[in-house]
Amino acid sequence: MTTLPDTLPGWGHAALLTTLARADDARLKAFAENLIPALPEVEVLDNRTGLVMLPMRDTAQGTHFHLGEILMSEARITAGGQDGYGMRRGRDLEAAMAMALIDLAVALGLAKPACAAFLEAESAAQAETDRETLCRVEATRVDMETF
Amino acid sequence: MAYVATRGGERAIEQSERLFRAEMGEITADRVAEMRKALPYLVDRVMGEASLYDEDLAALALAQTGGELYEAVLLLRAWRTTQPRLTVAEPVTQENLFTHRRISAAFKDIPGGQVLGPTLDYAHRILATEVLSGENFLPTPVEPASRPSPAQQPSVAAWQAENDLLTAPEPDTASGNTIPDITREPLLFPAKRAHTLQSLARAETGGVLALGYAAQRGYGQNHPTVNELRLAEADIRVRHPRGTEFSAGRVKVSQAEVVSKSGSDLGLGYAATLGWNEVKVIAAATLDLNAKGAPKGSATEEEFFLYHTEGVESSGFCIHFKLPHYVTFQSSLDAMHDARAKKAAQAKRAPKTDISPQVESAE
Repeated sequence: MTTLPDTLPGWGHAALLTTLARADDARLKAFAENLIPALPEVEVLDNRTGLVMLPMRDTAQGTHFHLGEILMSEARITAGGQDGYGMRRGRDLEAAMAMALIDLAVALGLAKPACAAFLEAESAAQAETDRETLCRVEATRVDMETF
Repeated sequence: MAYVATRGGERAIEQSERLFRAEMGEITADRVAEMRKALPYLVDRVMGEASLYDEDLAALALAQTGGELYEAVLLLRAWRTTQPRLTVAEPVTQENLFTHRRISAAFKDIPGGQVLGPTLDYAHRILATEVLSGENFLPTPVEPASRPSPAQQPSVAAWQAENDLLTAPEPDTASGNTIPDITREPLLFPAKRAHTLQSLARAETGGVLALGYAAQRGYGQNHPTVNELRLAEADIRVRHPRGTEFSAGRVKVSQAEVVSKSGSDLGLGYAATLGWNEVKVIAAATLDLNAKGAPKGSATEEEFFLYHTEGVESSGFCIHFKLPHYVTFQSSLDAMHDARAKKAAQAKRAPKTDISPQVESAE
């Protein structure tokens, strides 16, 4: 019988997956590897590269059209009546599998404090990277009054 | 057209390929990584034209072809066919772009302000020849602002619609596999708008620029002004098997709107592509702006510019002319010899006539 997936307090599923998809690949793999002993036997359903088509909305007439395809890595696993899923940019199958293992661990309610700590750290690192980028972008803002 | 099968060139063909590759030497992962790092705009251009986004593969294609862009794009388009399509992401919208550069040449005070982002627009174009003498060129670092720019910037077109300058477009209900896709359907004319914009997104930059420039110089019906130009990153929003929508990463995108007065309203032309390539999107948006009502066979006619800016097809057709056409050309030569022989025989049979010019006497 399938039970409802567990969740991490303070973390919605979308935020968890978005953070894992952008997480540093080396840290992601290292963290996921440590989770493996705690997991029941894992069945790998998919671990492959493939393409995701990216559409965009045209602002002139509102039409949805395809910009092009993006190379992605995907992993789909199952264990203990729950599924784990990973999808990340690029051709790093191990990183996609690591993401799926963490998703699975969270769904099974395993290693919750460690998973939450990892996600917090990665989320903070991503936010800081974005902040640094946007501070450099802000430096290029034109102050029209001084033209 | 006629072709003939020949034998005897196998060794020459093999050696010619070796000769081409010998010039590039050994291709290593370090070289590919260095090309990816050092040539981001070239990598972006190749990814956009290949319609395949992956910086490592694009850098590898450039390394493997020695920077022969048409070959690099062809390699990527060919490789793409080996991969399954996993899914179609949610459509990217302008207001959700993580924006690095957003400017308007039409309005000074746009909502959100003008942010130049990375550009050489106002730079002196001076070649740093000192590098060749051993003096490294170290770029002066950016002095970051104390507070970040907003990640999302409002849409200029939406602001214009609010001010009754443009008609806001109706939302498109197509999503996923219902969005027309020229990689799976033929391009027919008049083209679906989704096909037109997808074709322009993957078009060859030089071709789009040449035809867009022709329109800008006066061979089009409308002179463009850049309404909004944006360089940004777009989230790839996909679904977990349980249905949760999430971002599986970001990719760089460019987007341009050009505007022109159209009767009592403003008309908008639009284009976008994968990677940062603003020349391409401004030129492509100019073609989109001018397409409606363009004369048949003109540079701004949709069928003309879509067929002639498809880089893989056009470069392939061009280079096929250097392949053996011995039978075709021999047939032309035979026809020419035959015509000459007939003309000579005719001249022999015909009576001699005075071919000196007739001069009219002056009155």
